[in-house]
Amino acid sequence: MTPGRRPTARVPAVAVVLVLAFGILAAGSSYWQVIRADELVSSPTDAAVLVAARTVVRGKILDRDGRTLADSRRAKDGTPYRVYADPAVSHPVGYASALYGSAGLERAYTAELTGAGGSDPSSRLFAKFLPPADRGSDLQTALSLPLQRLAVRLLGDDRGAVVMLDPRSGEVLVLASTPVFDASGIGNPATAQERFEALREDEASPLLDRATLGRYVPGSVFKIVTAIAGLGSGSLSPATTFPEQPGAEEDGLVVSGFTIRDGHHAFTGDEELNLVAATEVSCNIWYALAGLDTGGANLDAFARRLGFGGPLPFDVPTAPSQLTNGGGPLPGGFLDEVELANAAYGQGEVLATPLQMALVAAAVANGGELMEPRLATALVDRQGRTTSVGPRSMGRILDASANAALVEAMTRAVEGDRGRLFTEGAKVPGVLTAGKSGTAEIGGAGEPHSWFIGFAPADAPTIAIAVIVERGGRGGERASPLAGRMLRAYFDAQP
Amino acid sequence: MDAGLNLALWVLRLAFLALLWVALALMARALLSDVRAASRDPAASLGRLVVIASSGQPAPGTVFALDAVTTLGRDLGSSVVVDDPFASAQHAVLTFRSRGWYVEDLHSTNGTHVNGAQVAGVTALGYGDEIGIGDVRLRLERGRR
Amino acid sequence: MTGLAAEGAAPVLPGFPRPRARPRELGLLVAVLAALAIGSLSLGLLRTGRLEPADPLGLVLYAAGLLVAHVVLVVSGRRLDEVLLPAAAFLGGIGLLVMERLPQDLVVQEIGPLTLGLGDLQLLWLGVALAVATAIAVALRSDRWLRPYKYTWAAGGLALLALTFVFGSEVNGSRLTLQVGPFSGQPSEFLKVILVVFFAAYLAENRVLLADARVRLVGPITVPPLTYLAPIVAMLALALGIVVVQRDLGAALLFYAVFLGLLFLATGRLTDVVLGLLLFAAGFALLALIFPHVQQRIAVWLDPWADPLGDGYQLIQALHAFARGGLVGTGLGAGLPEIGGRLPIPAVHTDFPLAAIGEELGMTGVVAVLAAYLVIVGRGLRIAAAARDDFRALLAAGLALVVGVQAVIIAGGNLKLIPLTGITLPFVSYGGSSLLANAIVVGTLMALSDRGAAPPALPRPPRLARLRGSPRGPS
Repeated sequence: MTPGRRPTARVPAVAVVLVLAFGILAAGSSYWQVIRADELVSSPTDAAVLVAARTVVRGKILDRDGRTLADSRRAKDGTPYRVYADPAVSHPVGYASALYGSAGLERAYTAELTGAGGSDPSSRLFAKFLPPADRGSDLQTALSLPLQRLAVRLLGDDRGAVVMLDPRSGEVLVLASTPVFDASGIGNPATAQERFEALREDEASPLLDRATLGRYVPGSVFKIVTAIAGLGSGSLSPATTFPEQPGAEEDGLVVSGFTIRDGHHAFTGDEELNLVAATEVSCNIWYALAGLDTGGANLDAFARRLGFGGPLPFDVPTAPSQLTNGGGPLPGGFLDEVELANAAYGQGEVLATPLQMALVAAAVANGGELMEPRLATALVDRQGRTTSVGPRSMGRILDASANAALVEAMTRAVEGDRGRLFTEGAKVPGVLTAGKSGTAEIGGAGEPHSWFIGFAPADAPTIAIAVIVERGGRGGERASPLAGRMLRAYFDAQP
Repeated sequence: MDAGLNLALWVLRLAFLALLWVALALMARALLSDVRAASRDPAASLGRLVVIASSGQPAPGTVFALDAVTTLGRDLGSSVVVDDPFASAQHAVLTFRSRGWYVEDLHSTNGTHVNGAQVAGVTALGYGDEIGIGDVRLRLERGRR
Repeated sequence: MTGLAAEGAAPVLPGFPRPRARPRELGLLVAVLAALAIGSLSLGLLRTGRLEPADPLGLVLYAAGLLVAHVVLVVSGRRLDEVLLPAAAFLGGIGLLVMERLPQDLVVQEIGPLTLGLGDLQLLWLGVALAVATAIAVALRSDRWLRPYKYTWAAGGLALLALTFVFGSEVNGSRLTLQVGPFSGQPSEFLKVILVVFFAAYLAENRVLLADARVRLVGPITVPPLTYLAPIVAMLALALGIVVVQRDLGAALLFYAVFLGLLFLATGRLTDVVLGLLLFAAGFALLALIFPHVQQRIAVWLDPWADPLGDGYQLIQALHAFARGGLVGTGLGAGLPEIGGRLPIPAVHTDFPLAAIGEELGMTGVVAVLAAYLVIVGRGLRIAAAARDDFRALLAAGLALVVGVQAVIIAGGNLKLIPLTGITLPFVSYGGSSLLANAIVVGTLMALSDRGAAPPALPRPPRLARLRGSPRGPS
């Protein structure tokens, strides 16, 4: 009787299993050392980047016209430190300090600025064979120093934010937030500690970049999102009217036992408003009904396409904007019809960052296609080689014809006889301007937030803007004229 | 750091990595040549052992294929299990080297016989010779080609 | 061909084996030493700016030790495997270079008047390991000490482990180290060798019964008869139990995997393997439910960035090290940027030497190290395949698996393929017990590879036969 095949016969099978296991290990090694390598090596938390940040002279940060926004100087003992052009750009540019780490663009591009990460993969491949760099690459941004200064000046003592971007490419020209702080004070090792402590304790939170991280109730500027969702999903058309709307102007609209009241457009009387008219006079009732018709699922879906519900793809960190706190049984996470109706005109639990609302305007301005916002446009290394960061699309939100209706609506909101009552000061003389103002009630005592989003020229937009002034009162009071001044300055500066 | 020093460093570093792989390649060659030698004639066995006479197990007429090293004995772990009362657990080992067969008695109680004569230590064998273990006789024959 | 014994006289093996040259081993050792010398030069040039090895004495001692071992093997005359020693020397040498490159004050020990740092200690243990491996390779001739006393060995091993559990010193929450005088060791390292001996002996003895006298479980699925499975399962369960309680999960995984491998080799039944894997999954799930530190390990493995400054820090730093290495690395001594005088990866010399290799030698270096393990495993399995009885076959396979599987487990943990465990990378990690245990493995494999005595010279046919035209034909 043969006692079965001997163990020696099965050894090859075991060998194969082990060879496979080692093959998987080699694949794992290639994953971290080749595939994910670039991402890890350029991260601001990488040990080599951190070491370089302390020893290497950082490259300059420049604005769109080549003005220096951030530069390096040497202290008496030879260690490099950073100086900044103007507190107006402190929020997007950030600071870099040995003691307090880094923020803003200084942080996001630590690897490139210190030469540790390098610009493009092919140069980085051979960079290691060259002697290590003592100075990093320069960072070219889309920011405009003069416009940024103007934005900060116009905001004055108010807290708020201004975002201006080119809807065709996503380049961000202005990312202003007040109050500002002096980043040079932090960069300079002699003054760093006392300045930083003081800033941290300041209750106005000057270190907070309101443009990207401030979440505010948007009020009527959010109606554009509702319109996008309605038109995009087919629930609304430019001609949509609601028979119950004129009547509800007086008595209010009852939704599930809750009464929604409208604002200040008694002059429309019995007119049944359509999309363009409702936008022009900022009709809450029309939009509440439009939102209910569109439904939570569509509203949520289109809002997500615009960037709501998560961080935005951007050079510096952003806070997610939201439609609702979520957890509700209705599609989209709304608690009930009342919340959905309120959200449709920008109240309820809706919170949006100024950057997010600027993207909404940019999407409409760019014919329905949303471009990714960008601060950095190019990197110039020590040898003078430039690597550009190209524009990227976030996707098509609306098709061209639906988008055209919105453009018309927003144009009327600024240029129309009735519209300009709500957006006084936003129009740029000689340029067809489009936009939407907003007054965000935040409950309790105190003024509401003042909002404006818009773009110009309305027929071929080259610039989009979002402005918020905290507690700035009715939209017409602060945000609209501020936006108008910014837009005028932009066009004045064009050749 | 000057460029010359940097260059020298990298020459050494790359040479180090290259030499590591040279050493590995040499080891791999050793592994492969062994494997090749072992699988040269997978179908043919080196030789066969035919049971001429036995008191029970293995039955007469049984044919065992032989490897380069074949152990014979009562132990179930042996290559050829000889279940005879006069066989030791580890009785003998039959090996093939340099194109020749050798049998070695492993200090068995009753000894190993070749063609009737008891042998001690390592003994050369030829095809046709009979190995005696206890009452079992096995004949060495050529392998199948 | 007429029987060569026809002449009548049977040649007898000489009493003392004559020294045999081992050219392949010498050639491989020279290649390995040449590579290590160039590596040491690159480190030295970086450190001092002059073309000199980083630790000339260390390099010379290592080379001398290997050559002495080679000479001892040559003199012994045994026909042993010629690739195992160079492969182990390859890995040991790389480990030595890494330990020399790291700050020497990571581990300091005073022995008499000498104060030894990390690199010196690793060299010392490598020397001892080399001596042990060579001694076993040369002296271990029969399984007289192993096979009959398998239960004794196993009991001894478990007793040592239990002793450590009671009297051991606690390091990082696990009691794994036993301190005797100035030396501290980890008995779980030696237990793996002892268990392999036990498994191999038991399975060799009961292989037939386990494979054929099966008990029907469900439908066509059969299991080995439980009475014969019991002792080995009990031993395994005991070992796993002690190891799990001591939180040495890597060792538990290693024991179990090796056991499954040997069981498969012994019985050849895939059902056994599948059942074993299912049991493993169940056991692992159970452990994860009961022990919070197991859950923590799994959480860190799945997303170390969830706690980047706490639990996930070590793994994140290791992955960054791999990324900085890229294809060819940053060069020996040029990686591992220190922040404020501290290495970026904590416990890199014991837990993450592969990450250090990944950063300084790149993917080229990492794959080279992995290939070296494959060489050892390949030779070990080859020795198993050519073994002349079941015990030796299973023992050789088990030892090969012990090295290979251990390397897979720790490398997998370093590369975030599986959760991290605290076992060492054989021959490379710092640790005397690890080096010694793996030296015992290599020495035993070499002893098992003995191809026996050289055949005696073929008796020349007498002159007359040759003149008459022997079958050998004209020469």
